[in-house]
Amino acid sequence: MESDSTAIIQIENIAKVYEMGEEQVHALRDVSLTINGNEYIALMGPSGSGKSTLMNMLGCLDTPSSGSYLFKGENVSEMSDDDLAEIRNREIGFVFQTFNLLPRASALQNVELPLVYSGMSKRDRLDRAADALHRVGLDNRMDHRPNELSGGQRQRVAIARALVTDPAIILADEPTGNLDSRTGQDIMGLFDELWKAGNTIILVTHEEDIARHAHRIVRLRDGKVESDTENAHAPLV
Amino acid sequence: MHVIESIIMALASVRSHMLRSSLTLLSIGIGVFAIIASSGITGTLTQTLSSQLADLGENSMLIQRTPTLQFGGNWRKYQSRPDLTPEIARGLRHQMTTTQLISVSNTSNGYTVETTADASNPDVAVIGIDDLYFQVNAVSLQQGRSFTEQEVTLGSNVAIIGTDLLPLFNGTSPLGQRIKIRNQEFIVVGVLERKGGVLGQSQDNRVLLPLSIFIKYYSSRWDTSVDIAIKAYGKDAVSATFEEAVGIMRGLRDLKPWQENDFEIDLNEALAGQFNNLSAAIVVVAWVSGIGALLAAGIGIMNMMLVSVKERTREIGVRKALGAKRRWITRQFLIESITLCQLGGFTGVLGGLAVSYSATLLVRSSALPSLSFVWPLEAIIFSVVACTVIGVGFGFYPAWKAARLDPIEALRYE
Ligand SMILES: Nc1ncnc2c1ncn2[C@@H]1O[C@H](COP(=O)(O)OP(=O)(O)O)[C@@H](O)[C@H]1O
Ligand SMILES: [Mg+2]
Repeated sequence: MESDSTAIIQIENIAKVYEMGEEQVHALRDVSLTINGNEYIALMGPSGSGKSTLMNMLGCLDTPSSGSYLFKGENVSEMSDDDLAEIRNREIGFVFQTFNLLPRASALQNVELPLVYSGMSKRDRLDRAADALHRVGLDNRMDHRPNELSGGQRQRVAIARALVTDPAIILADEPTGNLDSRTGQDIMGLFDELWKAGNTIILVTHEEDIARHAHRIVRLRDGKVESDTENAHAPLV
Repeated sequence: MHVIESIIMALASVRSHMLRSSLTLLSIGIGVFAIIASSGITGTLTQTLSSQLADLGENSMLIQRTPTLQFGGNWRKYQSRPDLTPEIARGLRHQMTTTQLISVSNTSNGYTVETTADASNPDVAVIGIDDLYFQVNAVSLQQGRSFTEQEVTLGSNVAIIGTDLLPLFNGTSPLGQRIKIRNQEFIVVGVLERKGGVLGQSQDNRVLLPLSIFIKYYSSRWDTSVDIAIKAYGKDAVSATFEEAVGIMRGLRDLKPWQENDFEIDLNEALAGQFNNLSAAIVVVAWVSGIGALLAAGIGIMNMMLVSVKERTREIGVRKALGAKRRWITRQFLIESITLCQLGGFTGVLGGLAVSYSATLLVRSSALPSLSFVWPLEAIIFSVVACTVIGVGFGFYPAWKAARLDPIEALRYE
């Protein structure tokens, strides 16, 4: 495959095998994908098809059993734990289904956390965290703790935390799975805006309504890419 | 460095697990308290005992009815021993050829000394001495003179005072003035050189009287036996003098060759050795028990940290996903464990301070008004250092475990 200068992610023939005692579980087999800057992708597929495994791989939380993974041209598949942590910190923003905010920290402190690990000064951290919260519309909730916020607001905090480092991609695993459909659509509206502002977004979902927001839909089945298509129904810019 | 954040996080986790935290902190506190309290006691004991020793001069030996330190159940054997009397001392003086320096003294505690202007607390030691006391013992005069042989044998009403009693004279010279001790009047003829106090045990709160008048009015009802101090002429003569003293004592007591000594005789150095052995034993016991308590507390800290790591598995997963490297996670949990230990140590120090301060107040109001509270600075430094070592030592395994968690597994943890 020829190398594309705007490609952020290039994975080729990757496989992931889990050893379960005697048994081997092939979570991913022979998956190849190229993802460019400012793409808006939905990963779909039935339960157990390998969506989360692929997501963890793309997010540098895990390395493939075989195949190659280039992130901005760097070979990620052979990186150490700490090198992966650095890539995650700099290049990747995670949004989880269950929010995963630190319960004892305020919204501002939660958003600040990735910047702590990148070694930024306290003042810059606070500026940027406040800025990110402003972008998700939570200016007046900065000092609230997660248990003082609604589900939708918590997910907004999580999105602010994902974009505060200005990452190359934002990965969201079922970001609306724990929200009612109206709040879910609000959150999707926020992702749409981020995409318009130039971010690259990859989201895992099994809901067609949610996937409709993306411009490219990749469907998995039994650990393989079943289809990789443009979404004709995507809302126009 | 985001140490402050980690400390705040540690305090928050203490707050959110109040019961478990307080139990662990308490055990650390007890460990620190045990070491501080026991080293305090050891210190006081050692210094008090060795200051008693300090009175006995170089190349000297002491004959006593019973040993200064008694261990075990020999109490009956010692109790049946005959008293040492001035007659025995006279016999020694008469027969010994290797020395003439033999002094007799006896001590009784708890007297009030009155002057025309003032009165002391009832805690003055009264010591009956003979004319050779200053030559044999490591005690000297600052002003005035010693007792004459005549004053000692006649039992004249003369006294030598320690410097603690000087304030009773309202700034005037005590020499030639009268003092009263339990209805007997004495004229002050000398003032002792200041020896200083050891942890509230002043060595200057004393009055010396001629031995005969001491025996008449002040001898303790329970122990009328005197102490006989003998000084050899020089270092080389010490063992010969010792042998001779033992032989003459046995003769004076009519002991048959198969009977054991019915008195104690010890060289200055031997007494010092006994004290040193005792205090070394106390130090060992104190440290072994204190370190035992701290190790137990350390295991408590490790358990607490392991539970904390387990409960916060998901949080660790989130942190790793957000880009925390291993050393960040390790550092966070180490700081947390050190913070916990310091909190416990602080509790122990506070407890130790409270106990020793109230003990000081108690002793001061009942016996020693001059006693002042000593801040155990070394103990506090020890506590901080020990708690850091324990925090790192026992926090390391949990922190290492946390740092090595697989982020995916950790994120999935319920
Ligand atoms: N840590 C693991 N150990 C063993 N098998 C796993 C592990 N993670 C995922 N799998 C298996 O890999 C397959 C894909 O799982 P996953 O990626 O979670 O699918 P999805 O997110 O699409 O539901 C499943 O069969 C799952 O049981
Ligand atoms: Mg999944």
